[in-house]
Amino acid sequence: MLQISHLSKSFDKVKAVDDISLEVKEGEIFGFLGPNGAGKTTTISMIAGLLTPDSGTIMIDSMDTRHSMQQIRGIMGVVPQDMAFYEELTARENLRFWGRLQGLSGKELEQRIRYYLDKIGLTGREDEPLKKYSGGMKRRINLIIGLLHRPKLLLLDEPTIGIDVQTKMNILDLIREASGKGTTVIYTTHNLSEAEELCDRIAIIDKGKILASGSLKELIQIVGEKDIALIQGEFSADQARQVVSHEKGIDIITMKDGYLAISLDASKKIPGLMESFFNMGVSMDDISLKQPNLESVFLKLTGRELRE
Amino acid sequence: MKRVFLLAGKDFKRKWKNPVVLIGFLLIPLVFTFLFGLIFSSSEETTLPAIKVLSMDNDGSLLSRFYLSALTQGELKDMINLESASSEEKAPSLLNKGKASALIIIPSGFGKKIWEGSPAELTLIKNPSEQFLPQIAEEICDTTALVFSALFQIFSDEIESIRKLSEQPDISDQVISELSVMVKNRMEGIEKYVLPPLISIKQVTRNEDQETEESSFSVHSYILPAISIMFLLFICNVVFEDLLREKEKGTLLRMSVSPLRMNEFIWSKILTSAAIGILCSLFLVGLGSVLFSIDWGRLDMLFPIIFCLNILISGFIAFLYTFIRTERQAGALMSSVIIITALLGGSMVPISNFPAFVQKLARFTVNYWGLEAFKKNIMGEPASQIWLIVLGMLGTGITLSVISSFLLKNKLKKGLYR
Repeated sequence: MLQISHLSKSFDKVKAVDDISLEVKEGEIFGFLGPNGAGKTTTISMIAGLLTPDSGTIMIDSMDTRHSMQQIRGIMGVVPQDMAFYEELTARENLRFWGRLQGLSGKELEQRIRYYLDKIGLTGREDEPLKKYSGGMKRRINLIIGLLHRPKLLLLDEPTIGIDVQTKMNILDLIREASGKGTTVIYTTHNLSEAEELCDRIAIIDKGKILASGSLKELIQIVGEKDIALIQGEFSADQARQVVSHEKGIDIITMKDGYLAISLDASKKIPGLMESFFNMGVSMDDISLKQPNLESVFLKLTGRELRE
Repeated sequence: MKRVFLLAGKDFKRKWKNPVVLIGFLLIPLVFTFLFGLIFSSSEETTLPAIKVLSMDNDGSLLSRFYLSALTQGELKDMINLESASSEEKAPSLLNKGKASALIIIPSGFGKKIWEGSPAELTLIKNPSEQFLPQIAEEICDTTALVFSALFQIFSDEIESIRKLSEQPDISDQVISELSVMVKNRMEGIEKYVLPPLISIKQVTRNEDQETEESSFSVHSYILPAISIMFLLFICNVVFEDLLREKEKGTLLRMSVSPLRMNEFIWSKILTSAAIGILCSLFLVGLGSVLFSIDWGRLDMLFPIIFCLNILISGFIAFLYTFIRTERQAGALMSSVIIITALLGGSMVPISNFPAFVQKLARFTVNYWGLEAFKKNIMGEPASQIWLIVLGMLGTGITLSVISSFLLKNKLKKGLYR
């Protein structure tokens, strides 16, 4: 459904997207995981035709975005981060407008409006202006505007920012349902648990590059079965190196003054490491151990936690 | 085209649901017209009051008294309230206290100089704190002095005889009879030149019936179109502000990943703006007829004027938006530009009040052409003249719209991505 090949984009001298290639199959939910400024939105904007790539190609449903963007727009849906609708109009009026803009009309449009309003639990409030809705309700409307015409390719740019758990579950259910009906979903997020829960495949993106991509299982294999330990205290990078060099089976992920991230094959090695630090007269502030998951994969690949 | 109408319909609905700004912009021209109408239209309260003039006769001769009495003869007696000032020292202070509009001083020897046929001077001191009444008093004194001089030149021989007579202690009936015959002969001699007068002024008192029959240009029929055009520009600006607001809000981004083309989006704004402008114009024209009894002229010409004026306004505002990047810039610049063009184009002050080079600049404003079209239709000028302006407005409006749509398309595409 989506093939991206050697895609690059720079702003002035900053490379926002750097030689990205990937392929997404029909009906798949593909996640772009990365911190703010990683290049997720730039990539999605190029897929949507809002930005012209400096180099590389994007094929959607076998159509090249450079030549067939007008046809592609007919099969694409976008849910931007912002609430992109008209607050003075009612939910029904908004859905009618956006549906008609996508070529829907008549009974089909009315049926779909009813269906989705029911799905998001807003039946009975469809004739209220959206400015009277809560933030969560607005998020749900923002999503179904993108789903209404049942696009072949749905681009979602962090659609769950700032909402409650219930609304988030509702939104994730709708995305799964769309995917089940054949819609290919590209989903950007910096929320690890959301990506783990929703996406069939994930690409970890940082500084414009895809560091790794695959299913959750495939990504975890990158770090192997090793746990990740994060140690913080009053030590220098040299002291940390000295301590780690005495132990076998430990790989350094990140090492700097006061912070050490390592992968280790057995958690029983932690007391030994602590003892070595204490023997050097170093005081420890915090030690945490992480089981292999998307977070540890991200840490392993980028050398930092996603929240940094 | 279907999508252009879909977008325009959506914008109409949004404006309909939030009409406060538009209603404000519609009411202001009506209120302005009403208030300016009160100021400028004629009424009993605006009848000119009698002008109080002080006189100081230092000559006290027959002629000085004759001149002063001439100022209060006939219709002048309703206009001039002449009072004798008790002393020359007190008279200026009376002027300063606003007790009179002017002081006329007749110097001693005034009568003698006139008898001798040599130039004589009067002094007129005007009240500096008043604007119009002293000016009128000066005009009246000037005119009276001119008539006085003319009479002395025409009847110089007779006056000389009268002067000599006045010096004699006894005047016989025969002398008076000879003098009467002399004056009669002179009158007969000049009769064909002065009677009947070649030029006369017909005084017409207007009444409401005459006004409607003649369909002439009333104060309201100047003010309402003039102010309305300015506020139509503001109304159009409200629609175009959406160009930037939709970009800020992300709705434009969402539209630009739909099958909608950017050109269609821009043309929908031009269409919405023109359509709202036309509706507002019709509303103002209708209310102008009902509230101020404005006769707008030929109805078959009125609609083309309104239609093409609003096309021009939309094109003009669209063109201005090609220079604007943000809502903040629009807020700061657009009001200033609209007010300046309104001022130059005659929406606030008749352009005849400006120097010639500013009057030439007026031709580059929307307000000028709109006002010209309305004025010509109200004055009942030939349709061919009005069509020239109407087609000019249409052509310019379409040209500006086409240029703007091209420039705005590229401008709006930039920066959609954040």
